[in-house]
Amino acid sequence: MCKLVHLENGDLNGFSGLFESCSLRERLVILMIDQSTVLLFITVALASAVEATEALTIILASGITRGWRSTFEGALLALACLAVIVGVAGTALIYYVPLYALRIVVGTLLLIFGLQWLTKAILRQTGFKSPHDERDIYDKQVATLSTGKKGILHGQRDSLAFAISFKGVLLEGMEVVMIVISFGLANGSQNQLGTAALAALIAVAVMTGVGAVVAKPLTKVPENYMKLGVGNLLTVFGLFWMGEGVGVQWPLGDIFLLVLLAIIFLATLGLIAYFKRVHKSITEAEL
Amino acid sequence: MHSGKRLSAVGKGVKSFFTFWKDFLVGDSPVLALGAIIILCVAYLFRGSAVLASVFTIILVLVLITFAVWQKTKARRHAYN
Repeated sequence: MCKLVHLENGDLNGFSGLFESCSLRERLVILMIDQSTVLLFITVALASAVEATEALTIILASGITRGWRSTFEGALLALACLAVIVGVAGTALIYYVPLYALRIVVGTLLLIFGLQWLTKAILRQTGFKSPHDERDIYDKQVATLSTGKKGILHGQRDSLAFAISFKGVLLEGMEVVMIVISFGLANGSQNQLGTAALAALIAVAVMTGVGAVVAKPLTKVPENYMKLGVGNLLTVFGLFWMGEGVGVQWPLGDIFLLVLLAIIFLATLGLIAYFKRVHKSITEAEL
Repeated sequence: MHSGKRLSAVGKGVKSFFTFWKDFLVGDSPVLALGAIIILCVAYLFRGSAVLASVFTIILVLVLITFAVWQKTKARRHAYN
């Protein structure tokens, strides 16, 4: 009998020798657990990259217009606050809240976020909403910051740069924090919280590195496509965990995640095609 | 007077706390948040049957996305009509 299938997800370290003793079906289950971890990593990394791109635009606008010291201080304080929230809330939730309750709350939150991202992404893809343009947002931020008075906190600190940077990073980062905590806890393993946090950290580090090198808004990042992908993934994970939370035994177990992903993705493509046609006919009639 | 001012500041703080979370979770599409709650209730009702739960929740998600996009494009379509 395979001992590995009785292990909790995330506790699979050092199992390679025991893997040989498992039947084909049991091996498939174990591989699916790993696949859902990979899917989790990709979702959190993509979502974090999107939010990091948006936060970076605000930091660049503030730093170039008002100076880097106060901008960095604001951003660092916001990052510290976000790290404390992940550490404290994540650890407290995993120890004190039952798994089914976590899955219901986390699933519902992810479903709401996913549906919001997906709807916006479809509207942008079809032309009903203007695409997210980092250059445009950057120019508007620079115009606002240029007219503001130089507020001194202590010594050379600029209160406006500090506040804009702090607020921007905290607000954009809060969504990442919610996603990291949700994905980290819904599987009921603390290891997944580490995986989710690592995915977010890598994505933010990569985007920050690229931003530091180019020193201008990251207009080349395909943000709209990324939002479409993340919207799909959040919706799928949200529905899946919400169902598990209330006691639904999904057919095929974890493999059902891929079935859900395929259905939602195909439906999204269908909606984009339909509403693109609607938008085209409206635009032609208006001309 | 002093405690009145403090109470008013606390009230403002509580109000802005709830406004932040309302904007954060509901945003400009209350229909999506409401729809997610309805999907949760449907999943709970059909929790005993994997097939029924999957079919109904998936259909509801698809209907919800379509309705949300349709609703957001309504103004433009009405202007055209």
